Amino acid sequence: MAALTATARPRKLLASRRTRVGILYALPVVVYLLVLFVYPIFGTLFLSLKNADGSLTLHWYVDALTGVNLSVLITTLRISAETALLSLVFGFVLANAISRLKPLWAGLAMLVVVVPHFISALVRTYGWIILLGDKGLVNETLAGLSVPGTPYRLLYNELGVVIGTTSMMLPYTVLLLYGVMRGVDRRLLAAAASMGAGRVTIFRRVYLPLVAPGLASAGLLSFILSLGYYITPALMGGPNQTMIATLINQQVTKENQWNGAAAQGVILLLLTLAGLLLVKLVSSLGASRKKRSAS
Amino acid sequence: MAEFDVVTPSVKVADGTLPTATGKALSVVALRKTYGDVVAVDEASMEIAAGEFVTFLGASGSGKTTTLMMIAGFCEPDSGTITVGGRDMTRLAPQKRGLGFVFQQYLLFPHMTVSENVAFPLTLRGVPKDEIRRRVGETLEIAGLSGFGGRKPRELSGGQQQRVALCRALVYRPPVILMDEPLGALDKKLRDQLQVEIKAIQQELGLTVIYVTHDQEEALVLSDRIAVMRNGLIEQFDTPRELFERPRTPFVADFLGAANFLSGHVEKHTDEHTLVRLDETGGLLKARRHELATGTQIKAAVQPGRLRAGAPGDGFCTGTVETATYVGTLVRAGVRVGSGDVLLRLEVPAGRGPVAGERVGVTADPEDVNLFADERER
Repeated sequence: MAALTATARPRKLLASRRTRVGILYALPVVVYLLVLFVYPIFGTLFLSLKNADGSLTLHWYVDALTGVNLSVLITTLRISAETALLSLVFGFVLANAISRLKPLWAGLAMLVVVVPHFISALVRTYGWIILLGDKGLVNETLAGLSVPGTPYRLLYNELGVVIGTTSMMLPYTVLLLYGVMRGVDRRLLAAAASMGAGRVTIFRRVYLPLVAPGLASAGLLSFILSLGYYITPALMGGPNQTMIATLINQQVTKENQWNGAAAQGVILLLLTLAGLLLVKLVSSLGASRKKRSAS
Repeated sequence: MAEFDVVTPSVKVADGTLPTATGKALSVVALRKTYGDVVAVDEASMEIAAGEFVTFLGASGSGKTTTLMMIAGFCEPDSGTITVGGRDMTRLAPQKRGLGFVFQQYLLFPHMTVSENVAFPLTLRGVPKDEIRRRVGETLEIAGLSGFGGRKPRELSGGQQQRVALCRALVYRPPVILMDEPLGALDKKLRDQLQVEIKAIQQELGLTVIYVTHDQEEALVLSDRIAVMRNGLIEQFDTPRELFERPRTPFVADFLGAANFLSGHVEKHTDEHTLVRLDETGGLLKARRHELATGTQIKAAVQPGRLRAGAPGDGFCTGTVETATYVGTLVRAGVRVGSGDVLLRLEVPAGRGPVAGERVGVTADPEDVNLFADERER
């Protein structure tokens, strides 16, 4: 009986005209993804596991996770975390302010936030370099105001990299948070006020929990994007701020070391997946804790 | 799902553990609010007693919601005062007023469970945890929601959500609970049922409620007193019976009673009655005594349910039954009288209903006839 239904089902599926048309429509996308997404990923994975003589090995991974490579990885994680945190904070303040504006002004403000993103990252990074240099606008202004200790070192160190990457991530976090904040029913806040909640309580117990999912996804997005970020850290950082993307680039272009680069690429991919998993875990943990405390 | 909606409210008497009436009189004096040139609320004044269920009834734009919002503190009046329990609240922020508010859109916090929603106002007031649990449990029980505490609002039906919102508004025993068309988003059957529940809970706990609606029937079912509003003015603030039987303006007679209007002038007075000569039919209509000068041009209002069809020649006019529609217990009849310009609407018990084409005399009890000086003359 089971065998009968098993053979009958696919035939029945294909027999439906709608299904056949559906498959036809999906085919270009499936082919596109297979050629440009699935194949390269497995290609990279294979490359990272291949010895010079073609046999399988894990020593590219051992290389990638020891010595200088490990410290680059840790630097990458640290800078990404700092960037994610800062772009969340600034993004939150900015998106919150914009979401309180009238629609017309909010639209204009969003334009101001997003338009710089249309300019090449390279150009923007050089813009920052000009602003933050020892003789740049920031230091000149501070010196003009007789602030002690000028000029500050704002470039070619971690501060410089984080300033740069944060500014690159800001449009993403603002866009994401703005969307979530616009979705919050303002009348819920009025309802809380009618029950006697003050501004701080409303913010902490109603507003923040409602935008928390947005915060998590915005933070994760900027973290993941920072992990693989290349131009800004390469131009605004010093030798101690080498990030994994720079390392991969060096290995491919300067050392022709594709296998090591592939291993680091796979590690980057796994870190990204781990980040996604973490957020999923945290949110589901929060939900189950809620459920238990309620019953 | 449907079975959860059929929950009869517990009607046990408050035994001291339940939140009991803490209502203090609310008074509104000469409240006024304008938006640009538009007067939303014009010098509204009223006194509301503790334990009273008061409804603001009116069409949209009548100022009923604006008045409620001013009492809640969501909107600031241009002038006038609002006092609750002797305390001036006119310029106070909503969170400092300590009133309860039930919104049409429920506005439950989606990230909290039912229990957490109801507990929210108590946690703000620093009530101990045990007491919160006890009071939330009691309140949910009153609303027939025991066992729903652990659910999220989105897992409940509209009627259940609004019950939770009601619990959340009354759990902290506010002196006055304000409700802004709380049943507006529900279907008719559920609305009828919740009206009964809200009224039962209000009476059981002795709550003071101010309720806004545009639904006359809802207002009549729920209210101790109704403020009929139009164009920012309170037309009449009275018990449902008074509004129905002794409307003070033609608008009230029309809005609540869907009255028939006939024009005429006061011919003479007797000790108990005022006699009116009707313009259209020339008939003489006997009304209870009104203090109107002889000769005054008036409008007479009689509700369809208070008119009766008798033999031709009876009553104040005779006409032909044009339509007779059977609507269950009633027959709705349209009687063409006079030179044919006036169609009187009658609602008579189905058993003795007139039939179309029949000639009938229309009679009315003088007690049921209300006279208004014609506004055109003023």
